[in-house]
Amino acid sequence: MTISHHPPEDLLADFAAGKLEEAHQLVVGVHVAGCTRCARFVQAIEQLAGATLEDFEPVPIAPDAFDRVMSRIDNSPEDEAAPPLASATDHDLPPALRKYRIGKRRRIAPGLSMRPIELSGSGKARAFLLRSAPGSRMLEHTHTGTELTLVLEGSFSHEGGRFGPGDFDYGDDEIEHRPVVGDEGPCVCLVAMTGGLRMNGFLGRLIGPFVRL
Amino acid sequence: MRLFIGASKGPKAKVDWADLIGRVASHGDRAAFKRLFEHFAPRIKGLMQRAGCSSDEAEEIAQNAMIAVWRKASLFDPATAGAAAWIFTIARNLRIDLFRRRARADRLRADSELPDAPDPAEPADAAISRVQDAARIEAAIKQLSTEQSMVVRLSFIEERTHPEIASLLGIPLGTVKSRIRLAMNRLRDILDEEA
Repeated sequence: MTISHHPPEDLLADFAAGKLEEAHQLVVGVHVAGCTRCARFVQAIEQLAGATLEDFEPVPIAPDAFDRVMSRIDNSPEDEAAPPLASATDHDLPPALRKYRIGKRRRIAPGLSMRPIELSGSGKARAFLLRSAPGSRMLEHTHTGTELTLVLEGSFSHEGGRFGPGDFDYGDDEIEHRPVVGDEGPCVCLVAMTGGLRMNGFLGRLIGPFVRL
Repeated sequence: MRLFIGASKGPKAKVDWADLIGRVASHGDRAAFKRLFEHFAPRIKGLMQRAGCSSDEAEEIAQNAMIAVWRKASLFDPATAGAAAWIFTIARNLRIDLFRRRARADRLRADSELPDAPDPAEPADAAISRVQDAARIEAAIKQLSTEQSMVVRLSFIEERTHPEIASLLGIPLGTVKSRIRLAMNRLRDILDEEA
C-alpha cells in the first residue's frame, strides 16, 4: 500500500494531543494506524507532550489522593477489559473501526450506499462508511463544513490527484470537488463530515450528492 | 513568572522514570510508584485543567491515570516510548474517554430509549504501532530549535491561543502562525530524513 496523501501536520498534532472530535479522531487514527510516516510524526508530538507534562507547573491534588489510588489498586487488581465488538461480517474493517457499532447499509442513490458509525455524540461531525460503485461520479459540489475522507478500498480521483487505499483527503468549504470513482472496483471510504454538501446545480439538489455515471 | 511553563527552571535532577516504571512492573515496588505519583499526578492534573477540564475532572483523570500506570506498567516498553510520553498518552486517552462518556450520559438522559451502546473506551490511536524507537524520535525532536519546540508545545499540548503564545514568547501575533507552520514542516522533514 503506497500512501501518497497524508493529513496536514496540524491535524496530526491535534490527534496526538487528543484534541480532535470523535469522528475526526477516528478517521485520522485509522490513517495513522496504517501509515508509518504519520505514526512517526504522532509519536514525535507525543514525545513533546511528555516533555511538557514532565516540566508542567504542578497543581495541588487531593491530600488523600495517593491513599485512594493505592486502595483502589489493592481492592480491584484487574482491569475490567471491554470485549471487542468485532462481528463476523466486519472482519475486513480496520481494527480501530471494530470497536464501533456500525449501522445497517443504507442506499443513498444508485451505486451508492452508506453505513453510519455510532459515536458518543460528543462532537458535531458524523462518521460513516461510504461505498460507491466503480465508475461513479459525484456531482460538482462544495462543502459547507469540513470533510475528512480515508480510502479503505478502491480509489477515486479529483483535481487533487488519485486517492487509493490509505490515502487521506481533506475537504473544506473552499474546495470544489468532482470526484470520479476508479473502475477497478467499488470504493469504500471512511468519512467524517461536519455540515453538509452544497450541490452546484438543480439536479444535485434534487437527487442528492451522487449519481451513477 | 508563573506562566512561562516549559522554560527551564534551573538544572533538573534527572530522574529515570522508565526505571521506576520497570520496578513497579517487576515487583510492584510501592516506593517507586509513590515517586512517580508525586511527580506526575499533580502535573497531569495541571495539564488537564490547562486543557479545559474542571478541577474535579482533572483530579479524576490524574488518579485514574496513575492507577493505569500501575496496572499497565508491564506493557511499558522504554525502547519505544519515553516514560513521560507514555504517561501523557494514558492521561490523554482518559480525557477523551471522559468527554465521550459525558456526552453519552447527556444523550441517554435526553432519550432514555436509546439502546446501551458500547463505549469505545480505547480510542483509535491505541492501534498505532510503534514504528520507531524512542531514541530516534528523541534525536529528531532535538533537531528542532528551542523556539520551534516551544511553539508546538504551547499551541498543541498546552492548547494556548495565538495571542497568548505571542505574549508568552514576546513575538508579534503574526509571527506565531508562521512559526508553528515552520516548526511542523521542519519536524516532518527531519522525520522523513530519518526514515
